[in-house]
Amino acid sequence: MDTLQFLADGFKVAFQWHNILFAFVGVLIGTAVGVLPGIGPMSGVALLIPVTATITSGMPTGDAAASSLILLAGVYYGAMYGGSTTSILLNTPGESSSVVTTLDGYQMAQQGRAGSALSIAAIGSFFAGIVALIGLVLLAEPLSNVAIKFGPAEYFSLMLLGLAAVSGLAGKSMTKALMMTVFGLMLGTIGIDAVSGIARFTYDQPVLYSGLEFLTIAVGLFALGEVIKTILERDEETGSIAKINRVLPTKQDLKDSTVPIVRGSLLGFFIGVLPGAGATLASFFSYTTEKKFSKNPESFGKGNIAGVAGPESANNAASGGAMIPLLTLGIPGSGTTAILMGALIMYNIQPGPLLFDEHPEVAWGLIASMFIGNLMLLVLNMPLVRVFAKIIQTPKKYLLPMIIAISFFGVYAVQYTTFDLFLLLGCGILGYLLSKNDYPVAPLVLALVLGPMIENNMRRALTISNGDFSIFFTKPLSLVFIVAAVAWLLVPLLLKLRGRKVIINEEG
Amino acid sequence: MNKKFDRFAGVAFLLIGILFLIESQKISDSAYGSSVGPKIFPMWLGIVLMALSIRLIYETFKYKTEESKKEKLQYKKFFIIFGSAVLYAFFLEKIGYAVSTFLFLLIAFQTMERGKVVYSVIISAAFSFGVYYLFSEVLGGSLPGFPLF
Repeated sequence: MDTLQFLADGFKVAFQWHNILFAFVGVLIGTAVGVLPGIGPMSGVALLIPVTATITSGMPTGDAAASSLILLAGVYYGAMYGGSTTSILLNTPGESSSVVTTLDGYQMAQQGRAGSALSIAAIGSFFAGIVALIGLVLLAEPLSNVAIKFGPAEYFSLMLLGLAAVSGLAGKSMTKALMMTVFGLMLGTIGIDAVSGIARFTYDQPVLYSGLEFLTIAVGLFALGEVIKTILERDEETGSIAKINRVLPTKQDLKDSTVPIVRGSLLGFFIGVLPGAGATLASFFSYTTEKKFSKNPESFGKGNIAGVAGPESANNAASGGAMIPLLTLGIPGSGTTAILMGALIMYNIQPGPLLFDEHPEVAWGLIASMFIGNLMLLVLNMPLVRVFAKIIQTPKKYLLPMIIAISFFGVYAVQYTTFDLFLLLGCGILGYLLSKNDYPVAPLVLALVLGPMIENNMRRALTISNGDFSIFFTKPLSLVFIVAAVAWLLVPLLLKLRGRKVIINEEG
Repeated sequence: MNKKFDRFAGVAFLLIGILFLIESQKISDSAYGSSVGPKIFPMWLGIVLMALSIRLIYETFKYKTEESKKEKLQYKKFFIIFGSAVLYAFFLEKIGYAVSTFLFLLIAFQTMERGKVVYSVIISAAFSFGVYYLFSEVLGGSLPGFPLF
């Protein structure tokens, strides 16, 4: 009964007029971000953090965090909707989680069924959003009750598991992914040590005392890195946009896609909850599952509506599911949720089991707003899909310099130092070089966010055990996490040795 | 896979790892009696990064070089825009947000594609003055204002 009460309170927060506005702006920008190739959900969210931070600066911390998170999360799942639009109409996925949608979606568009594909994608995404929401409501409370019993040793191992999961699945080379993780952890140690108050790696530079700002690095690596890539490598202009005849699906289409939507939603949700496996992986899994269950698998790739309905539901459900480890355990499972977590930390709000006790308005307000946001997306995406399709035609020559200007504004408005602007530019180049050569940058950002917490928990645990490292292996839960972390790294390696192809998660 | 870049990165990260290991030894021990001071974590990170870098360098000898097709990169455009971005960062506090943003956008738009100067002027002016007005007047934020002559 308590949960329902909390949920009702959450709706009270979400129905405040400014929060409705925030959710609306969030999903609107999110859809645009999803439509525009070149800006993924990760850079979209990162770019908007400073903007929301200033808009909410007059509010009390709790409310401000709730409002910002409502907007930022809206961008995240809004992008999942928007990504499908370009996949279907243009055969170019707006973000990586919509890659499989191109297979059948574009074929449908060529057969004149673009409207059906788009509306089924929207309906599927909406249904998936609701499934993820129910899952969140059901799992949030029990999970955070378990997590509240965690000691420093358990937390250390759990975060290790989170890092291992993201590194194990990110990119082509695990060595590179692990290097990025360790490098991120290193960057996190710069500044004044929270436990002892001793300055580390600061070399008497005052700008370094508070550490490198996570926001600057995230915006630089993702947003600026992508801008630099697009400036350097002029990619081919995309082809013509398919015509949209009718926006409502036929009865037959609805019937054919009901089961894939339900299956995709459930599958996507559970994949989303797992750390490291994000929306991209979920959509791939859903596609192969649908193909397996289909009566005529040979029709896939030729415009089978199940190939649109399943994956599109799955990626949206996964983005909802990814909120669970973030909110209840305080462990982000993907790059985008790491950035959301960074936003929360900026407001001095620590995600994790205590979040539901200390700031119920943030946690439940967000959950409730996801319901409202999904409803808005459904309404927005059905009639307005033609308008969004036009966004693709925004000329790059205006878009790219503006993204640079927005990131400058964002970083400067939060940090007020020129140093951060130069750091931003440096990270942009680094981000471009690294991702061009298959060094995944998502683990770096995740490690940067988790780094200080990992270290503090490790040291707290070791202080309890008088410096004995065996504490991590003797506590049963901690041991389970460590074994899981090792398995996460070893299993893909073993599969590779046996010549199996391993699906990797590339979230950009 | 770019062998040259991987080797270079391997060596670079190896050096970073060594640097971290050496520099972490200079961090003073924590004041209270715990055996795990502030230097343990960075020290181990340094060691792990060194190990991973060595593994990466070793890997570069194993795989065959794939002849990657040379794509033409637009260095000129990039350097102009990046250079003006550096100048933008440098002058932001000196000549104010609105003016520096306007100039940066104008240069960047024209670098991306010559011509249509009027459009470029209008869009950069709208963006820079719009953001400045909205942020510092309406929302009460603070940005470096206009230069005082």
